[in-house]
Amino acid sequence: MSIPETGATAVSATSTPKARRRGFSVFGVRVLAYQIILFVGFLALWEYAIRAQWLPVYLYGQPSGIWRELVKGVQSGALVHDTWITAQETIIGFIIGSVTGSIAGLGLWLSPTTAAILRPLMVALNGLPKIALAPLIVVWFGVGMESKVAIAAIITFIVAMLTSFAGSQEVDSDYIRMMKSLGASRLQTFRMVVVPGTVPWIASAFRLNIGFAMIGAVVGEYISAEAGLGHHVYYSGTLYNLNAVWGGIFALMILALILDAMVGWVERRMKWR
Amino acid sequence: MQNSQATVLAAENVKMTFNTDTSEEVTAISNIGFELKQGEILGIVGPSGCGKTTLFNIIAGLQAPTAGTILVNGNRVQDASGHVGYMLQKDLLLPWRSVIDNVILGLQVRGIAAKESKTIAQNLINAYGLKGFEQAYPSALSGGMRQRVAFMRTLAFSPDVILLDEPFSALDSQTRLLLQADVMRIIRERNCSVVLVTHDVGEAITMCDRIVVITSRPGRVKSVHTIGIDPALRHPLKIRKQARFNELYEMIWDELGIQFAA
Ligand SMILES: Nc1ncnc2c1ncn2[C@@H]1O[C@H](COP(=O)(O)OP(=O)(O)OP(=O)(O)O)[C@@H](O)[C@H]1O
Ligand SMILES: [Mg+2]
Repeated sequence: MSIPETGATAVSATSTPKARRRGFSVFGVRVLAYQIILFVGFLALWEYAIRAQWLPVYLYGQPSGIWRELVKGVQSGALVHDTWITAQETIIGFIIGSVTGSIAGLGLWLSPTTAAILRPLMVALNGLPKIALAPLIVVWFGVGMESKVAIAAIITFIVAMLTSFAGSQEVDSDYIRMMKSLGASRLQTFRMVVVPGTVPWIASAFRLNIGFAMIGAVVGEYISAEAGLGHHVYYSGTLYNLNAVWGGIFALMILALILDAMVGWVERRMKWR
Repeated sequence: MQNSQATVLAAENVKMTFNTDTSEEVTAISNIGFELKQGEILGIVGPSGCGKTTLFNIIAGLQAPTAGTILVNGNRVQDASGHVGYMLQKDLLLPWRSVIDNVILGLQVRGIAAKESKTIAQNLINAYGLKGFEQAYPSALSGGMRQRVAFMRTLAFSPDVILLDEPFSALDSQTRLLLQADVMRIIRERNCSVVLVTHDVGEAITMCDRIVVITSRPGRVKSVHTIGIDPALRHPLKIRKQARFNELYEMIWDELGIQFAA
């Protein structure tokens, strides 16, 4: 049974666990030094370009201004509040969608007839950029948090369902034959072979889904919202307050890293081997 | 050779025809008949594609034959019900289960209490050379050990008949000889009734009491050979020195060879 790598290894700043465990090698320190020099140099150049008026601040923002926005946002609690709203929408939507989607996808293994009937729908959903559904869902669920949770849940449901169904179909038919020869019922085969055999696929879907859930929540906030990081970024953008936009993007990045690390931890525990 | 013994498995006029996509019918096997006595090891050799796996699927109740019947202990096989233990070339161990949990799979399917099945499995593991590995996962085992575990899984629920479909063909020749000797010893000790499919004529002569040679597709019984070598002399390395071994070896190869030419 092969473990799928459905692109779940999205770009992560940290290297593989193995490389990390090696600790600080000379090579690692040198790479880190170059990274810091590049990053600080880039910020310095950016700051200088604004101060020397090579670039207009209302189009690009300014590192010192972004820092002031971040400090202000944390002190007033506004940025923390927005981050917390987006985090909640992402997490709740992710859990609802991923769990029900995985169950639905696995359930289709039990009913090949239903799976055959739904096949065209699944092919269509697979090709669809799922975020395109967002405006519809906002219309149905309103401007509150519910609509963002719903977007995240629906997108992650589709991904989890398609992935877990595909995984269940990949279970080697010789295993099914072996179980049958042992006298196993279809339900026993499902429980003892198909479900555990599909877990690595589900784990990969979870890893993808945490990203999709966040995209769903933020795009929902772009469309219509009264709070959340997406709302903050969009609203600041309309006011040409680019420093605040960058501040929001920075908060999103931190949030994404934390959520991805959490799901990555779960994912590693779900993969036997 | 053991005609006084009861018949555990009988195939009568078994025929299997497949409808392929091209709407052409393919007859895989036709008029296959044989009997397996209690405690006997019956070999089946035949050219590739002659329907050996198909025959096993029918005996295990995974496929219904187009015609004919399979009787296990006099009862007609209708459906897969776990009356036979079926071991394939692939070990098919579940990678997320430890060795002992793989061995108890068949018992679990039968709803036997966890404690009881663990005892049965542990006894097998201790007796047949995997002691200390019960908590290991299949990925940590060598090919030979994995196949051993698969064999124990087959033994654990004491099936009436054991079907072995080329169980050693994926192993290197050293491991293969060792496992042949071990499996043969275990089968004799437990007085199991076994049908062994193999491409390896030497393996068939070494392990079996009788050998059925099947023709190329559609597979029919071409001949049946009684080995008649003293079981005490049947070690994979020793048996090759017997005149009877060489005689049978040439005879069976001849029968297979004629089919290749035709
Ligand atoms: N489900 C099926 N549909 C159509 N044809 C089949 C099917 N299963 C087997 N066959 C055909 O029946 C014939 C016998 O196949 P089978 O796998 O039983 O042969 P085999 O003797 O086990 O071969 P090998 O020695 O290579 O394992 C083959 O020609 C195969 O193409
Ligand atoms: Mg075969």
